[in-house]
Amino acid sequence: MTVATSPAGLDNRVVVAGAPRSWRDLPAPALPSPGAVLTAGAADALAVARHHAGYGTELLLAGPTRVDATMRDELRAAGFAVTLFVDGVPQTTPPATPRSPEAGRLWLLTSGSTGRPKRVGHTLDSLTTVRAAQPERTWLCPYAPGSYAWWQVVTLSLTQPGQHLVVVDPDELDDWPALAATHGVDAVSGTPTFWRRTLHRDPEALARVPLRQLTLGGEPVDQTVLDRLRALFPTARISWIYASSEVGASIVVHDGRAGFPVGWLDRVAPGRPTLSLRDDELVITSPHHGVGLDGPVRTGDRAQIVDDRVLITGRLDSDEINVGGSKVSAGLVRDVLTAHPRVAWARVTGRRAPVLGRMVVAEVVPTTEPLGSATAAVPRGSVTAAAPLGSATAAVPLDEGVLVRWCAERLPDYAVPRRIRLLTEIPVKETLKSDV
Amino acid sequence: MNELSRAQIRDLMAQVVQHQGRVLPDDDSADLREIGFRSLDFSELALRVEDATGEELNFDAPGLRRIATVGDVLDFLAELQRQ
Repeated sequence: MTVATSPAGLDNRVVVAGAPRSWRDLPAPALPSPGAVLTAGAADALAVARHHAGYGTELLLAGPTRVDATMRDELRAAGFAVTLFVDGVPQTTPPATPRSPEAGRLWLLTSGSTGRPKRVGHTLDSLTTVRAAQPERTWLCPYAPGSYAWWQVVTLSLTQPGQHLVVVDPDELDDWPALAATHGVDAVSGTPTFWRRTLHRDPEALARVPLRQLTLGGEPVDQTVLDRLRALFPTARISWIYASSEVGASIVVHDGRAGFPVGWLDRVAPGRPTLSLRDDELVITSPHHGVGLDGPVRTGDRAQIVDDRVLITGRLDSDEINVGGSKVSAGLVRDVLTAHPRVAWARVTGRRAPVLGRMVVAEVVPTTEPLGSATAAVPRGSVTAAAPLGSATAAVPLDEGVLVRWCAERLPDYAVPRRIRLLTEIPVKETLKSDV
Repeated sequence: MNELSRAQIRDLMAQVVQHQGRVLPDDDSADLREIGFRSLDFSELALRVEDATGEELNFDAPGLRRIATVGDVLDFLAELQRQ
């Protein structure tokens, strides 16, 4: 079989399961169109992406755990053949209702954080948000196949010469720094949870990776994680990106600060997304939107103006906690907790409580070693100014009382987490997220 | 049901107060306002009781009005577990 069209990046290096090859060397599966392909295998997923890029087949690509039996039936009813890769061999179930394919259509599944995943239509072109020539890079791709973030890295490598790719399988995820150092990775994109987990597990191994570009996205990005990465990589470019399958990559920030400048709100420029706030919700009108999502899209994400920045704090339906009539942002409380030098990760939620209705509670993973730059990382605005961080703070063993007092110095009393459970490992989902 | 004794509830109350950097008086007649034990602290104590017993407490809000002392808190939560 020959590739019908040739994406410009076909000769880029692709490392899968530790074996270097090029896009051109990947296997060429025969795939039906419209087709839903379910695979967790990195090599299979890349081969499917290249097949789509070459032939323009109508495609939905996802991990098998993301598409349950009911959704597989729905896809077959919607005209998709469903292909499951078993040990690298595609096994296809034909559609229940055959139809003609829509040429070039790529379907993504939403993250499902607000219910069942929904299909959002894109094309390879609408997913390709980096078009200007880039310096040569070797990118690590830790994302699950078929996710928006996975397609971002994959389209970059497929369409731009000099953008190489090293893929991490899920069972290698915790050891990615060693893999990355071996294969010369100098650019990594991951969620804040992915970065915190790496900082927590083995910061020395991370520091040995010669990174020039670090990208964060997919979850709220706080100042502490940016500062901790900056401390390890003082000369690298550290960027955070707001992107979703609905509105595409809409916010890109390179200045090393959490949030984006207030001056970006309601700014209209051709070919660029317009960012707005409505009732504390981030609303985006994006040229990179999915099918049927033109015009302003309510993102469901909560954003707050703090000084000169717009901070995205979390999902609207879960970020606001009403404690006896006082509103608390779970995201801002989480930022205060993660600013403690002995905290590697935190999750803040509301819990039903007597008298007050709900109370703020938290789960925290302590670091094994104190981390720096805590004072600068504490958010301002609704919280009180950060207290100076003395060496005594870093030396005190972490327990619930220490964290309660840390928060009490920086937050209104109703926002202080009253139950804080200490965990040993940072939880992470297949999406590399833990908080959303 | 894993019911807590009054003394066990007192230990949990002492933890709540200790996390605020204070000490719970030994005297059950100590006034809650004087020791700074507020509704947030009471709610936290209730969560700790729930966590310890694995059972959700069923609150009767009007009953809270008669709680003024440390002893009232302990009596109320001990009684609530049996409802």
